[in-house]
Amino acid sequence: MLVKIKVNGELRSADVPPETTLLKMLRESLDLTGTKLGCDVGDCGTCTVIVDGVSVNSCLMLAGRANGSEITTIEGLADSNTLHPLQEKFEEHGALQCGFCGPGMLMSAKDLLDKNPDPSIHEVRDALSGNLCRCTGYTKIIEAVIDAGRVMRKEISA
Amino acid sequence: MATRNKDIQTDTDQVIKTEKAKSPSSQPLSVPTDNPVVYPLDLPQGEARLRTPAVGQRASRPDGRLHGLGQTQYIDDITFPHMLHAKILHSDHAHARIVSIDTSEAEKMPGVLATLTGAEVPENSFGPTFQDQPILAYPIVRHRGDGVAAVAAVTEQLAMEALEKIKVEYEPLTPVFDPLEAIEDDSPKIHGESNIYTSKIIKKGDVEKALKDSPHVFHRQYTTQMVEHVPLEPQATIASWDGNGRVTIWSSLGRITLGREDISRTLAIPQSRIRLIGTIVGGNFGGKNEIRNEPIVALLSKKSRRPVKCVFTRDEEFTSSTIRHPFIMDYTTGVNDEGLILARKIRLVLDGGAYCSWTGTTIGKGSILAPGPYNIENVFVEAYAVYTNKTTTGAMRGFGAPQVCFAYESQMDEIANKLGIDPLEIRLKNGFSENSLSPTSQTLQSVALKESLNQASDRFGWKEWKA
Amino acid sequence: MWYPIGFTVLANPSAATVKVNTDGTATLLTGTVETGQGALTVLGQIAAETLGLSTDDVHVVSGDTDVTPMDTGAIASRTTYVTGNAIVKAAEKAREILFEAAAPLLNVKPNQLEARDKRIQVLGFPSSSIPISDVVQHSESVVGNPAIGSASYNPPTLAMDPETGQGKPFNTYVYATQIADVEVDDETGEVEILKIVAVHDCGTPINPMLVEGQIQGGISMGVGFALQEEILFEEGRQINPNLTNYIMPTSLDMPELEVGLVDNYDPTGPFGAKGAGEPTAVPTAAAIMNAIYDAVGVRITSLPATAERVMMAILEKQDSEKTAATG
Repeated sequence: MLVKIKVNGELRSADVPPETTLLKMLRESLDLTGTKLGCDVGDCGTCTVIVDGVSVNSCLMLAGRANGSEITTIEGLADSNTLHPLQEKFEEHGALQCGFCGPGMLMSAKDLLDKNPDPSIHEVRDALSGNLCRCTGYTKIIEAVIDAGRVMRKEISA
Repeated sequence: MATRNKDIQTDTDQVIKTEKAKSPSSQPLSVPTDNPVVYPLDLPQGEARLRTPAVGQRASRPDGRLHGLGQTQYIDDITFPHMLHAKILHSDHAHARIVSIDTSEAEKMPGVLATLTGAEVPENSFGPTFQDQPILAYPIVRHRGDGVAAVAAVTEQLAMEALEKIKVEYEPLTPVFDPLEAIEDDSPKIHGESNIYTSKIIKKGDVEKALKDSPHVFHRQYTTQMVEHVPLEPQATIASWDGNGRVTIWSSLGRITLGREDISRTLAIPQSRIRLIGTIVGGNFGGKNEIRNEPIVALLSKKSRRPVKCVFTRDEEFTSSTIRHPFIMDYTTGVNDEGLILARKIRLVLDGGAYCSWTGTTIGKGSILAPGPYNIENVFVEAYAVYTNKTTTGAMRGFGAPQVCFAYESQMDEIANKLGIDPLEIRLKNGFSENSLSPTSQTLQSVALKESLNQASDRFGWKEWKA
Repeated sequence: MWYPIGFTVLANPSAATVKVNTDGTATLLTGTVETGQGALTVLGQIAAETLGLSTDDVHVVSGDTDVTPMDTGAIASRTTYVTGNAIVKAAEKAREILFEAAAPLLNVKPNQLEARDKRIQVLGFPSSSIPISDVVQHSESVVGNPAIGSASYNPPTLAMDPETGQGKPFNTYVYATQIADVEVDDETGEVEILKIVAVHDCGTPINPMLVEGQIQGGISMGVGFALQEEILFEEGRQINPNLTNYIMPTSLDMPELEVGLVDNYDPTGPFGAKGAGEPTAVPTAAAIMNAIYDAVGVRITSLPATAERVMMAILEKQDSEKTAATG
């Protein structure tokens, strides 16, 4: 079946079998391999993308269901001149180690800051609770998200 | 001349128009104006990276930027033209003899280009300590995670369907799951004559006499469980051969020099014919420190003459890669009235799983570290690793240290409580200092134990909290 | 706790190659693999320090058996120490070639020079110096000696006696203390970790930010080991081989962490460094179990200390106290 989506601002489409997940379509049909496959059943969060303004586990969403939607993946977070404040702060704090949870973690964090620009530490922990990380213990990730929030609210410079 | 060209031009234009009118679907669905993949190229690196001297700087990681952009290429992100996908069939039994394997039905399926069984692997054994583990089990399977056959097909879905067509006939053998049962002489044997496949003794002083002379003797048994590394990236491998009979393997292995040696051995080809590329790995923690799928993928690629990729599912990451050894630890410690440790006797039984893997290192480190970082003149440690028909236990962050630390530190607090001594004081009293002797009589240098105890206690506010 | 660096007795060498470019940047070839711990960054810093360059000047190439030299692997917390020492030796060889080329230009002997702040300068008289880039160019195109060095390192050990285990299995060890503060709900057995303080010895921290990351990550594995994680078997079959039923720490399970490093210097390590990868995950479970005892007086001797197990222990304790009181 033909699925048409808008990914990071660009209209793309692919002809995929009906049981294809959005994750598989992004990675295999559209060559957007930034979003990762960690478990394929919605437990680990490495496949997190933003669909019509809501963060979802793309391994649990059928591609067909995403037809006509607007999707943001990790590849669309930066622009050609600057990193997103989240990407900047993650780098500054050394928040990612092996990096595999990174794209999913960043998308969940973006979703949080887009809706709640001044979250408490507990709210950050809560928003990221669906993204597993084995390397970092989450500490520097949380520090980076809080800092990125400050930048986005223009309290500190990037 | 010009007139003739004009006619040809008009004719050509007409032909193009007609063709276009005939097949509208040959036109692109959307003309890309935006780029779905954007990133800045010229941003400066973090300031700490630019300073000298370099040691001690909180330098940001260059791979950190790539991680944040989603640009890091893990193995599953790499594809090649004509690449096939491999899947592995795992055993139905915890302990069994394979009577027959029939892959013919799978081979007949369109889109399935190669199958593999253990009998086809040139040297079907590997292992970092000794080579007791098969690449694909044949003829004996020793745990449910043992692979018995593999297929390579044009899609992952097809490969999984092909696995279902493989017929394996098993003759079940009696399994043993409890290490304390497996250690007995009359238990079912998993390899060879005994299930105890490695043991270690550390002996210093006269522990029996010292225990007899101790005013207080504490005894307790501690046990730990099986845990998995859970690297976020499941194990993955790609293999591809060129016309010179040279194979390139991309792998999530943590050690490629020795990995190449292992692959050379199992495939019976010279090391110079193998290129092993270690990509950025999405977490290892010990589970990716020995070869696993590399020979399988290489052989499937050789048979099919196409690049082959195999990625573990999360399920396989649990059942078919290695896990941490459960320890059963018996600690008997003699102390005097002031809380000074006079003697420590320890017995460790390691649940060694179906194959040896990194058990040699685990039992070695576990035994040496088991008495704890304390000055003890009389020490006796005996440790045994026992085969059981469960998932292979191997290297996992600490090689036995987390298990024994749980035991010796728990007992330290128990002793402190019983004798009414502050847990910090008792550790400072017994702890290593510069030039202390280890349980193996090594003179220790660069010892910072008491400093870490004092600093941690200060930061925690231990004295105020205890008051 | 204490933990060794490197393999038990067995040789576990690492080799490295360092090449300095004509613009004063450098390339490091190492056979190790980046598994997320930041090894490539740290190893680059070690090479940079030896050559007097900044971290960003060194490009690290790793993990290709066709290109990179032998390395026993990213195992046993050995990378900073063993591969790091190999890199120091390799970089020193490349640096020696630069000293040989620069010495006549500065009118001194090679052993009077040092590499610092991207310059080759005279010891004790830094204003007499040449930028490293110029020295490399001179060495390559005038003297005819490209600045390249290869070396290896293996920690010296002594085999353990087979009967008594006595010997010197490792060249160095690290030490650490972790203290946990917990709250136990004595009606459900749920353990909530409020705070963990960790002070670790890693020798000189080559990159303190990365060591902190390792400690925080190691503690999260320790927390899982202590309270949550367990592979359950039934007749040899794993019944929870998935992340729904194999419980491991999420961001909500991790407490506030306070991390510190002991000031220590190991002369056998590269610039005094030892290592950090595994020791970080070692003492956490013990600290939490001891804290549980302190909170509710029950000693858990079997991990993990799930709510059920803690609750059972609390009930047993209450029962035995009742019996003691009435008996």
